Amino acid sequence: MFQFLVDVLMRACDLMLVAIGMSAVYSLMKFPNIALVQYAATGGILAIVLQKIGAPVAVAIVFAVVLTGLVAVILNEFLFNRMLKIGSSTAMIGSLAVSLVFSAAFLVTVGPNPSRFRLPVSKPIRILDARITEPQLVSFAIVAVALGVFALLYFRTDLGRCMRATSTNEVLADATGINTARMKTIIVLISGVMAALGGVAIALKGEVDIQIGMDLLLPVFASAILGGLGNPFGAVAGALLISLVETVVTTINFGPLMGQVVVFLPVAYASAISFLLLVAALLWRPRGLFVSEVKRV
Amino acid sequence: MSDFIIHVTIMSGLYALLALSLNLQAGLGGLMNFGQIALFACGTYGAAIAFHFDFGAVSGFVLAVLAAALLGWAFASVGRNLQADYWGIVTLALAEVIRIIATNEDWLTGGAQGIGGIPPLYAGLDGQTRQLVILATVLLLVLAAGLFCRHLIGGRYGLSIKIMREEPQLAASLGYDTIALKRQLMAVSSVLAAVSGFLFAHYVSFVGPEQIDSSETFLIWAMIVVGGLGNNAGAIVGAFLLQFTFAFIPFVKDWIGLPSEYVAAGRLLLTGGGLIAFILFRQSGIVPERVGGRRYV
Repeated sequence: MFQFLVDVLMRACDLMLVAIGMSAVYSLMKFPNIALVQYAATGGILAIVLQKIGAPVAVAIVFAVVLTGLVAVILNEFLFNRMLKIGSSTAMIGSLAVSLVFSAAFLVTVGPNPSRFRLPVSKPIRILDARITEPQLVSFAIVAVALGVFALLYFRTDLGRCMRATSTNEVLADATGINTARMKTIIVLISGVMAALGGVAIALKGEVDIQIGMDLLLPVFASAILGGLGNPFGAVAGALLISLVETVVTTINFGPLMGQVVVFLPVAYASAISFLLLVAALLWRPRGLFVSEVKRV
Repeated sequence: MSDFIIHVTIMSGLYALLALSLNLQAGLGGLMNFGQIALFACGTYGAAIAFHFDFGAVSGFVLAVLAAALLGWAFASVGRNLQADYWGIVTLALAEVIRIIATNEDWLTGGAQGIGGIPPLYAGLDGQTRQLVILATVLLLVLAAGLFCRHLIGGRYGLSIKIMREEPQLAASLGYDTIALKRQLMAVSSVLAAVSGFLFAHYVSFVGPEQIDSSETFLIWAMIVVGGLGNNAGAIVGAFLLQFTFAFIPFVKDWIGLPSEYVAAGRLLLTGGGLIAFILFRQSGIVPERVGGRRYV
């Protein structure tokens, strides 16, 4: 049972940071940035490559995360801002195009084979019947700390207040003297950093190949939309829900229901179920699970 | 060499049908369908399943068209009250669910191995002549589909779709049932995609889940954006241009002497880079949409 909870939590950690980044960037830029999942892949792959060159793990991670954040800002400045002037749908197609270019770049630079961090092999620790490895704990800690720091920034500082003001009503925020363009740049930087950290957290737990970004796309979208796109902390709940459903579907034995001893759904259906959950959410709660505002007609 | 050119032209023609279909949805109707490949899959799997269970090619065609029209109808119904970008995500998710089902339900779709040995078109003719006849069939179909789309866009129906795209509320106030319009548009354009898929299945005699990967949808998107969103000739030009460019990437690779990963990377780079370049520098594409001008209402 405890192992089940750990599995859910680990899967949620994979999705959470990227989903928060997606939600945060949507709250200010008003378009779903598909390229964000590729920032996660960049973070993970870059950190692994840096470690291979000879940097210590911690240094490699910090460099990879900061560099990815900068890439996010540069792309936003030169591409997405210009595409947004045409329309949010165009920007979405543009971000899709950017992620294709990322895939091409990965294919040329690191190749199709999966890679992993070179970490000393350690024995899994047993906590209440559940097996947890040291890298899993580290990755969990990274996600928890990133979440805490972002929450502090978002709710307790002036910067966060300005961001929330900009996301609620940009024109009013501009009129009260908030530099909304700067707020946007900062939120893009934060989303890039969060996505890269998410990628690093995935890389720490196992192998990373160049498909990782595109594999993350739909689960991350599902988490961000379930939590209400534009509501960063809703995305945390969304990620937990998605990973709960994925884990339940693959670990429940449907045998007794079907009159057989053991019937498990193929693992591939885990993602199918979460996509269907996304579709259901969009049909019945299109603005997310946690939006209580009454829509004026 | 001429065999190769004929093959590439046939493939371009099949993609041109898909691009025309997506152009009806996205260019004319403003529907951001990111699940186009699922409609194509209805065509390929319609043909394959009919062959697998010995129903005969005609019932395969009927199955393909019905399944695609139904799926198109369902796509439009799911998206009836969603914003364009949300709907794009839903269609992407549904297409992915369909691919996962096709990969896992071995009894129906042959699973990951797919279904092979589908009888070729015009089985009575010998190699070279057969290719030429298939080429003629495909080109005639593209021409017919192009004329059909022109008729649709030029007529009263096209105008109602355009007003739905530009000013949905105005369209509703004038008495147009926008949801019914969307459903009809999706169902009609799905049939085009299904025809393309049906011919594709009989042309390559093999159907498998890797043919219906989401990346194919993005390729079709690149074709219509490069060719010119909203213009039928543009969709055809885009399809031929991208297919022919792709066909010659391997030769360029051999000529420069690059490893074979560069072929896949080159395709991705061309798709992504082409999309970005056209969105930024020539938003209307090679053949821009005609606004106003002569119509036959």
